[in-house]
Amino acid sequence: MHQLGSFDVQGFGGYDQVETTAIRTEGLTKRYGDVDALSDLSFEIPRGEVVGYLGPNGAGKTTTIRLLLGLIQPTAGRAEIFGLDCQHRSVDAHRRLAYVPGEANLWPSLTGAETLHLLGRVQGKVDEAYRQELVARFDLDPSKKVRAYSKGNRQKVVLIAALMTRSDLLVLDEPTNGLDPLMEQAFRRCIHEAKERGQTIFLSSHIMSEVEALCDQVGILRDGRLVEMGTLAEMRHLSALTVEATFDAAVPDLSRVPGVSSVQQDGRVVRMQVRGDVEPLLKVLAVSGVKGLLSREPSLEELFLAIYGADPSQTTPAP
Amino acid sequence: MNTDLALVGPARTGRSPGTVIAHLTARKAIRSGVLWGYIFGIVVASSALSYVSIYKTQAQRHRLDVAFGSNNATSALFGPAARLQTVAGFTVFKASMTLIILGAVWGLLTSTRLLRGEEDSGRWELLLAGQTTRRRATAQVIAGLAAGVGALWALTALITIVAGRSSKVHIAAGPAMFLALALVSSAVMFLAIGALTSQLGATRRQAAAYAATVLGVSYAVRMAADSGVGLHSLRWASPLGWVEELQPLTAPRPLALVPIIAFTIAVLIAAVHLAGARDLGASTVPDEVHDTPHLRLLSGPLGLAIRLIRSTVMGWGVAIAVSGLLLGLVAKAAGGTISGSSLKTVFTRLGAPGAGADAYLGVAFLMVAILVAFSAVGQVTAARAEESAGRLEHLVVRPFSRSSWFWGRLLVAVSVLVVSGVIAGLFTWLGTASEHAGVGFATTLSAGLNVVPPALCILGIGALVIGIWPRATSVATYGVLTWSLLVEIIGGIGALNHWVLDTSVFHHMAAAPAVSPNWGTDAIMVAVGAAGAVIGGYGLTRRDLQGE
Repeated sequence: MHQLGSFDVQGFGGYDQVETTAIRTEGLTKRYGDVDALSDLSFEIPRGEVVGYLGPNGAGKTTTIRLLLGLIQPTAGRAEIFGLDCQHRSVDAHRRLAYVPGEANLWPSLTGAETLHLLGRVQGKVDEAYRQELVARFDLDPSKKVRAYSKGNRQKVVLIAALMTRSDLLVLDEPTNGLDPLMEQAFRRCIHEAKERGQTIFLSSHIMSEVEALCDQVGILRDGRLVEMGTLAEMRHLSALTVEATFDAAVPDLSRVPGVSSVQQDGRVVRMQVRGDVEPLLKVLAVSGVKGLLSREPSLEELFLAIYGADPSQTTPAP
Repeated sequence: MNTDLALVGPARTGRSPGTVIAHLTARKAIRSGVLWGYIFGIVVASSALSYVSIYKTQAQRHRLDVAFGSNNATSALFGPAARLQTVAGFTVFKASMTLIILGAVWGLLTSTRLLRGEEDSGRWELLLAGQTTRRRATAQVIAGLAAGVGALWALTALITIVAGRSSKVHIAAGPAMFLALALVSSAVMFLAIGALTSQLGATRRQAAAYAATVLGVSYAVRMAADSGVGLHSLRWASPLGWVEELQPLTAPRPLALVPIIAFTIAVLIAAVHLAGARDLGASTVPDEVHDTPHLRLLSGPLGLAIRLIRSTVMGWGVAIAVSGLLLGLVAKAAGGTISGSSLKTVFTRLGAPGAGADAYLGVAFLMVAILVAFSAVGQVTAARAEESAGRLEHLVVRPFSRSSWFWGRLLVAVSVLVVSGVIAGLFTWLGTASEHAGVGFATTLSAGLNVVPPALCILGIGALVIGIWPRATSVATYGVLTWSLLVEIIGGIGALNHWVLDTSVFHHMAAAPAVSPNWGTDAIMVAVGAAGAVIGGYGLTRRDLQGE
């Protein structure tokens, strides 16, 4: 089982778990006919963590979220939210969470204000002052009917509806779908505030920079299986270090140095990827008249692409 | 440069970009047209065959003509009854008005669904991003709809021709095709009206409501024209009146096609023009996009359900009230024609023994039962739409269970159906009381409540399908209703055995107020519905939520 955090909770559904573990899945599997949408998913997310959940289209991200919410039934395995079974005690679990879907299909004839009122009443708890603040922050006109909203504005409604509840757990499925960059910034501020308040956040997203900026932990899905889960630092081993060396004399042949690959020379500047131990490279550089040396750890995007087999050198380097 | 590649270009799809939308629409419209064509054809054929099996002698036919031929009340409701001593005259009288109205409803619902409904769903935007304009795309949809009308006409004509070949019926191919043309002409006009209102309204629902209003006004004007109070010329002020003027089988007047064709073309031109004159997603009639919040009902999913269906339910309520009132108003006159006539035998066979207003209402209340059952189907499909559109998720990801939502929706639906029955009974009594027809309030009220159990049975069957096979909800519930209707229509001529008759929910309904409601049978229908609802409710909690 993937462990996120420094403790290991024994048992399933015990009192301690309610207090310390926000989400726990064990062998969670969903099969549609012959297709495995999700296979044997097991992980724990401690309370108060912000976890990014990555994967390409069809990897199983939304399936995971729908299983956690009890919207679909698992073929095998089980999931808990704050120790509450997601299938059999879904209503109790839902008291502790708020959800933002990627597609905001709301009631077209209701206004934004009416929708927020309704969803707040169904949730049973709303921080009214915070709701007003969120409406202002996201620059939403609540007097408009939903059918007159743009896609981004509909997304604002579901975001506000989730955030205004101050729930212990926020389950976000591509929450910034359709938001402009200014609103994305507003969203990130809200997530930072939620984290400071101790709320747990489970964020499924395609936007690497968003996950990199917000999340403590990252899980990566591939073909319905969780292939990596951990902090960014723990995942650095998955991709190479990017090194750029500038020489004041003749450029040595670095392609044969152990661990070095993808060597590209531009005059007296050489860019390369280094995997594993950097000592062999440093020994060669020390005797080769190096004028300048830059190194950069792989970005989340590079890590992600490394897992999916794309050539990281073809991606845009992070600033 | 690779010249070979440059020459080849994108792969051809085998269909001109200028006709893709037309083909797409035609596929859907033809499917629907074929289904309704069967229904139209069977209604016409069963009317003709029932006439020759019930009215065997010339004397019987003459008595029928005397009874209904100059009856202003039935003329107002169902159109004039010309040459009832012939199979052709009776067929037109029995089938025409029902099918003209059904055709109009089919037309307006089909065109608003395939025009405004596609636009609301966002699919229209994808098509408009191709090699077309809004006007051309609208014209293509209209061409596709025309193919659907063609299918409707062809099936109606074919079945009528086949039935007409019977030596007793004897309707030649030419008149049969003209009858089919007359019957689908209301569908054509209301397809056009639906296309126009799709440009006027902001949503499909609004567009359908505008078109339905036109239909209601047209029916009312035609009714006034046919009521025998010197307003006959008003017929020319109603599209439905133009259809009547075609007088198929009895005294065909092809010239009456001129206003129908001219009106349809003018409306379609206006629709295509407006499609290009407005923004995508916008309406021609100004749409109030800002509103002050009305929060009274929005304290939970139950209130939300009431808020969402209230305008539709009010529409059904008005339709049921008007129907009840009209039936009450004509009950005395129509019932009087039953006394001592051969119709008494027919009414007895239909489960309404005796004579007078009671007997007439006993048979005529089937129409009210059908309206209430349609309302039940509407409730079921509306509930399923909440799930398929993804809106239900917003409720059940909160501390609110699927069961609570399901039983809440059913509670609202049951309340609506019971109130509909009460409205039917109340307004029928108002009609009978104003004409001193001698039918008591308690009698009409119980007759009104008597139409509720079949609707509850259909509601329960719909709830069952929602729970176990949600994607089939619409097909299954409309299927049960349509099947029951067909069995009633064909069963009326005694052509079906009791096993088939028993499959119709309406067959189990007593012909109140001609006879007392059979509350035992009604209880069984309600129990069947309740059992379906219980299984459906259980199934809903055990399955995945499913989109379209």
